[in-house]
Amino acid sequence: MVVVNFIIQNILTQAAITIALIAMLGLLLQRKSFGAVLTGTFKTLLGFQVLSAGSAIIVTALTYFGKIFQHGFHLQGVVPSIEAINGQAMNTLGLGNEIALTFLGIFIVNILIARFSPWKYIFLTGQALLWMSTMTVIGGKMAGLSSVWTIVVGSVIGGIFAVAMPAIAQPFVRKITKGDAIALGHFCTIGYMVEAGAAWFFGERGEKKHSIEDIKLPKYMEFLQDTYLSVAVVMVPLFMITAAFAGPKYAGNGTSMNYIMNAFMMGIQFVVGVYVLLAGVRLLLGEIVPAFRGIAMKLVPNAKPALDCPVLFPFSPNAVILGFITTTIGTVIGMFLMPVFGLAVILPGMLTNFFAGGTAGIFGNVVGGRRGAIIGGIIHGLFITLLPALLVTALTSFGFVNASATDSDTIVAMLIYAWILTPILKAV
Amino acid sequence: MSEKLTIYFICGAGLGSSLACQMTAEDVLNRLGLDENLEHEAISSTPGLHADIIVSAENFAPQFKQYDLDPAIKFVFLHNIVDPSEIEAKLVPVIKELSAKAS
Repeated sequence: MVVVNFIIQNILTQAAITIALIAMLGLLLQRKSFGAVLTGTFKTLLGFQVLSAGSAIIVTALTYFGKIFQHGFHLQGVVPSIEAINGQAMNTLGLGNEIALTFLGIFIVNILIARFSPWKYIFLTGQALLWMSTMTVIGGKMAGLSSVWTIVVGSVIGGIFAVAMPAIAQPFVRKITKGDAIALGHFCTIGYMVEAGAAWFFGERGEKKHSIEDIKLPKYMEFLQDTYLSVAVVMVPLFMITAAFAGPKYAGNGTSMNYIMNAFMMGIQFVVGVYVLLAGVRLLLGEIVPAFRGIAMKLVPNAKPALDCPVLFPFSPNAVILGFITTTIGTVIGMFLMPVFGLAVILPGMLTNFFAGGTAGIFGNVVGGRRGAIIGGIIHGLFITLLPALLVTALTSFGFVNASATDSDTIVAMLIYAWILTPILKAV
Repeated sequence: MSEKLTIYFICGAGLGSSLACQMTAEDVLNRLGLDENLEHEAISSTPGLHADIIVSAENFAPQFKQYDLDPAIKFVFLHNIVDPSEIEAKLVPVIKELSAKAS
């Protein structure tokens, strides 16, 4: 018993170990060589620790930003970043273990649904699954569920989303790719439906419909495809402008450095944090996702892998840039609009704006042409600003620092907990 | 036996679509009995990569021109990055050419 207790209390409570063991299981099931199992397991373990290090950097930068924003504008400014939420949930709040097990649970539920229903989608975008497990675990914990029930309920809700979202997007994806070989696995799909709906309503139709792909975009916009660069281009000036309003007393942070320079370095720190965290995610998932894929393809005949949104980008590159710009315009309008309704100030989240905005642009363009993509994009931007604003109070009271979630589907999953599950549990 | 080639798959964040492309390519290479080192990365990290071949989506092609990369690196740009037949048609000839040179 002593040995078992030691294992439970000291090893299985370490989320890094849990997730490494999941990867090891996947590699063993695939009958990989001893060397491949060893390196794969180790890489996953390493990945989790790199992710934690990245999260610590982000939190430092966000804490600073929250302080200067509050003193500069006398408002609470929230940075929407699912990466920051995940990092804080895993480390500061110690939910890493639940998140790792829910991640595995969602995958199992996904396979079961795909195996026994007509929807053969296998969700293979690892980081999106990680964000989904993060949000369902936070939702479960907020609703007051025990750890076991948090994992069970999270796996079922997450598993349903993992099949339902690719299924909803598929009619559009067919039109975009002119085929049925690719499915979209990205938890921003509800946002894409909002854009497609708006594009259908406001957009061009029939003869008058012009695709944005017929126009040549200026070359200088292409650098925006470099994720980290486009985050830096917005975040760094945002830190500096806010610091200018806050003044040297708060923005100087007690250093002898000039306060604007200090803000510049802090803005860079934020980008560094995102970079390190995502490098950790890359290590973490590089082994697990292919293992999942191998297992799922064996268990589910005719399975259709649902993949990350950039697989659609080469089909409609101009719409990606247009979607990014229009969504950003929408989020900027939303930033000013939310406080009018008594909600928190949600700053434009550049990572989502690029990936979700770009993909939404493709949906808008295919449904409603140029005009559809432009108007739809702005409405998409407003929508993805409204969603995190609804979560802020709950997340802050739970101990999150100046951050809210992104990715519409994960927020909707969490709202299911907050608006439906919690009241039911309280009533019982 | 000749040395294994190192092939990098590149996308914007180096997380999702590059890995999807890598997994598809792995299937293609396994089927043809080719065994190479496959890795995936973000485009920001490409300067300084030691690779024999870089595989990416068409929309990234202009980006790579801005980097001062080792001229020996071969590029393969794909329209549908998860289409096995496109990968086989574009990537495999490059692999065979480089392997033939090395041996």
